Amino acid sequence: MAAQMILFNLAFGLTLAALASWTASYLAARPLLGRAGKTALGLAWLALTAGLTLLWVRLGRPPLSNQYESLLTLLWFIYPFAFYFSRRTGRPEILPAGALAAALLFGLAALMDRTARPLMPALRSDWLVIHVLSSMAAYAAFALAAAGAAWALLRGLSEDLEDFLLRLTKTGFAFLTLGIATGSVWAESAWGSWWSWDPKETWSLLTWLGYAAALHLRRKGIRGTKFGIILLVCFGLVLFTYFGVNFLLSGLHSYA
Amino acid sequence: MLKVLASLRLFFFLCLLLAAAFLYQTLFNRGAPVYGSWWFAGLGALAAANIAACSLSRRGASAHYLLIHAGLVVVIAGAFVTRAFRFEGELPLRAGQESDLAYSGRDTYKLPFSVKLEDFKLEYYREPLGVITVEDAGGRRDLYAVEGASLTLPSARLKVLKLARDFGVTARGETAEKSPYWFNPAARLEITAAGKTRRLWFFANFPGMHGEDLPLRVTYALEQAEIKNFTSTVQVRGRAGTVTRAEISVNKPLRVNGYTLYQTSYDPADARYTLLTVTRDRGAWVVFAGFSILLLGVLLWLRK
Repeated sequence: MAAQMILFNLAFGLTLAALASWTASYLAARPLLGRAGKTALGLAWLALTAGLTLLWVRLGRPPLSNQYESLLTLLWFIYPFAFYFSRRTGRPEILPAGALAAALLFGLAALMDRTARPLMPALRSDWLVIHVLSSMAAYAAFALAAAGAAWALLRGLSEDLEDFLLRLTKTGFAFLTLGIATGSVWAESAWGSWWSWDPKETWSLLTWLGYAAALHLRRKGIRGTKFGIILLVCFGLVLFTYFGVNFLLSGLHSYA
Repeated sequence: MLKVLASLRLFFFLCLLLAAAFLYQTLFNRGAPVYGSWWFAGLGALAAANIAACSLSRRGASAHYLLIHAGLVVVIAGAFVTRAFRFEGELPLRAGQESDLAYSGRDTYKLPFSVKLEDFKLEYYREPLGVITVEDAGGRRDLYAVEGASLTLPSARLKVLKLARDFGVTARGETAEKSPYWFNPAARLEITAAGKTRRLWFFANFPGMHGEDLPLRVTYALEQAEIKNFTSTVQVRGRAGTVTRAEISVNKPLRVNGYTLYQTSYDPADARYTLLTVTRDRGAWVVFAGFSILLLGVLLWLRK
C-alpha cells in the first residue's frame, strides 16, 4: 500500500480510537481516558498532515483537485478548529464532537475514487489553492458547528457551547465568503465570466445566504435550540453544495 | 415604506424568495433560466436596496458593518452593470486566418481589432501510451502497443504492425496522420487464431469493432493521455496599426484594447482550429472592488 494511504488509515484509526476513549471515559466515569482521547486526536492530525504532505510530494502539486483530495483537506482543518475552539471556549466536549465529524468524513472518503490524475487545463491556476482551501476551511467549520449543534440538541445547550457555535459559524461564514469571492475572480480569468450560475456556484451562494440568515436571526433573538436546528439545516445546504451538486446535478464544476 | 425597506424581515423574506428561485432553477426548471428574468433582477435590486437602507438607518454602525454591507451593495451593483453591458462573442479561427468578427447567437459583431491565429498547439503531460487488451476463455492480457511487439496465447498470436495517433484516410485511400495529436488512436494488428491470419485496424474510440470477426476480444485503449493545456499563438492588430503577439491558453487570457480573449476550446477533428471567446465586462471590476470591500469588512468582523 502506498505510504500516504498507510498514514491516512492511521489517522482514521487514531480518530476512532479517540472516540472510543471518550466513550469509555464517559461510560466508566474515568476522566483520564479523556486525556488519552485528546492525545490520539492530536496524533491523528499529525498522521493526516504527514499523509497529505507525502501526497503533495508524489503528485508534484497541492492535493486539491478532486473530491477525494478536497475531502482530506476538509478533514485536515477539522482537528485544529476543534482544538482551538475547545481551548478558546473551555469546552472539552468540542473535541469528541470534532472526532465524530472527522470519523464520519473519513468513512465517506473511503468510498471515493482515489485515482490521482494530472490537473486538467481549467484547474491549472494559482487560484486553485486559495479557492479550495478557503472553501474546505469553511465546510470544516460548518461541519464542526453542526456536530456541536447535534450534541447540544441531544445533551442540552450551555452558554459556552452557544458561544462556540457562534464563533464557528462566523469563522465558516468568513471563509465561505473568501471561497466564493476567489472562485469568482478565478472564473473570470479561466472561463470569461465571474458568475455563470452553474449549480455549484448557485448552491454555494444559497449556503452563504442560509448562514447569513442564521446569523441575522440570532441578532433577532433566535438562540439556543432553535439556532442549533438552523445550523443543522444550513449544514444540509453545505452537504448538497459539496456532494449533492456533483452527484445529482451537472455543470462546470464537475471535478470537485 | 422606508421602515420596511430597512427591516430585517424584508431580508429574511428575500432570502426565502431567492432560495425558492435557486431550488426551482437548479432542481426543476427545464426552460429558460430564471436568472435572466425581470423578476429575478427585481429581487436583486430589492436586496441591494434593503442592505443599503439597513446600513443607512443603523445608528452607531461599526466599520466592519459598513464595509461588509457596502461591499455587498457594490457587488450587486456590479452584477447589474454586467447584466446590462457585458459583451461576449465567439471567435473561431483556423491557423493562418485573420478575423475581426465575433459571433453571439445569431448576431455578428465587428471588433475594434482583428485577431490572426498563427499557431495552435495541444500539450499532453506525458506521451500517451496505447494498450492492447486481449480477452479469451483463459483470461485477460495486456500488451503495450509498440511496433513489432507480439503476444502469444494458447488460442492466438498477436503482433503489432503499425500505430497511428490520429488515424485518417487520404483521398487516395492511403492511411495518414490527420494531426500530431492522439485524437483517433489506432493500431494495426496481425492476429492468427483458429487457423486464420488477419490484419486489422483497431481504434481506441471504437472499441466494439471486429467483435464478431474474432474468436477472442481485442480492444485498443489509450493511457496517460491527459491534456496539460492548449494554446493559441495569435497576432492582434489594433485600429492604430499596433500589433500584439501573444499566447492564449486556458487560465491565461489576453487582455487587449479593453477586451479579454480566452482559450475556450479546440476541435479533435481539426488540429489547426481554435475557439476563442472575446468578452468585455466593465461590471467585473465593480464586482471585484465590491469583493475587496466585503472581505476587508469580514476580516475586521472576525477580529472583533
